[in-house]
Amino acid sequence: MEFGWTDDQIEYRRKVKQALDELLPPDWDERYVPESYASDLQVEYSREFCAALAERGLLLPHWPARFGGSDCPDWYHFILGEEMKAAGEPRGSQYMNVNWIGPTLLKYGTSEQQARHVGGISAGNVIWCQGFSEPNAGTDLAALRTRAELAGDHYVVNGSKIWTSYARKADWCFLLVRTGPARKDVSILLVPMDSPGISVTSFPGLIKDGHLNEVFFTDVRVPVANRLGEEGQAWSIVTHALAYERVGVPRYHTGLDALDLAVERLKADGRWEADPIMRYRAGLLVAKFEAARMMTYLVVDQRVKREPPSTDANLSRVVSLEAVTEMSNFLADYLPDCLTGGDALLEDYYRINIPAGITGGTNEIQMDLVAQRGLGLPKA
Amino acid sequence: MDFQLTDDQQALVDAVQAILADNADLPQSERLTYCCHDPALQALLEDNGFLGAARSIGPIEAALVVHETAKSLFSIEAMVCGLVAPMTLPDVELAGPVALVTERDLSKAIRNLTVARTLLVDCGDDVVMLPVDQAEVVSVPTIYGYPFGRLIALPDLAGGQRFVGKGAALRQWWRVGIAAEIAGAARAAIDFTIDYVKQRQVFGRPVGSFQSVQHRLVQRHGTVRAGYYLAMRAAWSGSVLDADIAGAHAVQGIQALLFDLHQFNGGMGVTLEYSLHFWTYRIRALQAEAGGITGMALDIADKRWPEPSVPALASEGC
Ligand SMILES: Cc1cc2nc3c(=O)[nH]c(=O)nc-3n(C[C@H](O)[C@H](O)[C@H](O)COP(=O)(O)OP(=O)(O)OC[C@H]3O[C@@H](n4cnc5c(N)ncnc54)[C@H](O)[C@@H]3O)c2cc1C
Repeated sequence: MEFGWTDDQIEYRRKVKQALDELLPPDWDERYVPESYASDLQVEYSREFCAALAERGLLLPHWPARFGGSDCPDWYHFILGEEMKAAGEPRGSQYMNVNWIGPTLLKYGTSEQQARHVGGISAGNVIWCQGFSEPNAGTDLAALRTRAELAGDHYVVNGSKIWTSYARKADWCFLLVRTGPARKDVSILLVPMDSPGISVTSFPGLIKDGHLNEVFFTDVRVPVANRLGEEGQAWSIVTHALAYERVGVPRYHTGLDALDLAVERLKADGRWEADPIMRYRAGLLVAKFEAARMMTYLVVDQRVKREPPSTDANLSRVVSLEAVTEMSNFLADYLPDCLTGGDALLEDYYRINIPAGITGGTNEIQMDLVAQRGLGLPKA
Repeated sequence: MDFQLTDDQQALVDAVQAILADNADLPQSERLTYCCHDPALQALLEDNGFLGAARSIGPIEAALVVHETAKSLFSIEAMVCGLVAPMTLPDVELAGPVALVTERDLSKAIRNLTVARTLLVDCGDDVVMLPVDQAEVVSVPTIYGYPFGRLIALPDLAGGQRFVGKGAALRQWWRVGIAAEIAGAARAAIDFTIDYVKQRQVFGRPVGSFQSVQHRLVQRHGTVRAGYYLAMRAAWSGSVLDADIAGAHAVQGIQALLFDLHQFNGGMGVTLEYSLHFWTYRIRALQAEAGGITGMALDIADKRWPEPSVPALASEGC
């Protein structure tokens, strides 16, 4: 057991930081970050940024070399994720491409699908969105109703998806559709977002712009060749795909950065030294984020060792969420003006994390999985 | 980074577990006690070298021994004689078990004093070591899961062996020890509770099938699992900040842990016939040691953000 970084990993982190320093525009913190990573501005910018990262060989460290990666252990991918998140995620939506869409295509895609998509992902210039949730199918995803009817060599898709982050700017949608009457009759289609019959509407919310979209499908024709896997195979593929996503966001890293920033502000306001309770709470928050870090690293380590997926991935999200929630509360207690124009970076941190217990599988569902599959507790 | 035990570490853990498994049963006479310390078991662990792991192997191995022994129903003094003392005073041979106390608490009941042969006193900058004469100790009744004793007379610290400048190291390893011991005891208490809620039926179904029970157990499990790795990281790195973090995290989790575990075991958890208290009231006893949660959290803040404040604007009186 040991908890250090290798020299190679330290060097890799240095290169990533250097790339951030050299590539990000000078007004990144002032103009881009406050818009948030799902904004049209950042998602569009990600095409330029990720392409430059790819050119430096930094975009896909853990991918196989023959698909444009560097065959590095998953630790490198995680170091990349930490530094990107800390910088305000200039990869925009493309972190999804690298985390799970690409790996899923590599595992389940036909050679034609791989030829079509993997090049774009590894070149860093394609935007995907995830079309899973529907107005009446969120946690209970199997209740989804968007239908795909087979008509010769095409499916005809009708229905709607909601909360589809990045949909406005996306080139492709990784779409779940119903292809039969049973709950398990769900399939995956890879759908070009410029297909006739697709429309996107957005609505405002507490989180910054870019996430809250509804995508309507009206008689959208999708070639059968765009189906990923067999009909009815969606659940096994999605389970695999999400095993990649579960620990996707290193929230401890951004959380600690935000906390550092908050303390800097509190010091500048002359409030830090006079308030031991504030310092005490900040100290405890560090411990909470470090606990989240340990759980996340544990899961990465399991992945590096190719251990079968465990519920530690779900548990790490539960532990992270506790820290994140407390951090938001800390901001609300001590720096409430971060939501009234006082600090754009802290506002972004706060607002991104409002739905931290909802996105990517709700906290309640994570806990159910750990309880039943990890601790062996009986189902209700 | 490698979160798995090495083969040698695993062998060490297996060996400690084997000894504890062979000595798992409380003697009939100790069944209804608050705490059970078995000098023979303590000696067995010492004679087999497990309490010397810090010197013979390293701090992470010593922390593993603390973690494993904390799972026992018996109260075993591994934390100070096996980890804190050898890491703080590597060149000093101490007679164990060792009790540990902050100078201002010398007149109070001291954990493990009735079984200790040595007392270490945290005097701020320095550490003082005193031999313990059991004739000078009275046993103090308590519901805590360790033996507690009080010194009949305040000792003359000038008569002890003083280690100048060792106070900070003592508190650092004390925090690592607290974190490892809480993680071990909590692990055992959670596993015990999981077994109970799986078989205890209410309204025709197991208690553990209720979501409110499941979710809280998962949260406690998460805290303790993370706490184990924080403790091991602090032992591995030897960093003061890591020790503060491990200690603060462990202590921070106690409130919810003890509430939930006692809650889920129902009335049985309040009785002495049941084993839960051996772990939970050892954990409780550790809660205020080494600065407690306030001291640990403030130390984290001071270390992470050491620079003094530079107010942006000089404040002008109104
Ligand atoms: C900012 C944001 C971005 C998103 N991005 C995407 C995206 O890009 N693509 C996409 O497909 N989806 C996306 N989602 C959707 C997200 O995955 C869903 O919101 C989530 O799965 C929850 O579904 P729901 O909102 O319908 O809540 P519901 O399913 O209605 O759940 C409401 C509450 O009930 C609880 N609950 C449900 N079932 C149980 C149970 N069995 N036991 C206990 N409690 C339960 C839930 O945990 C939750 O707390 C996004 C959501 C947000 C907020």
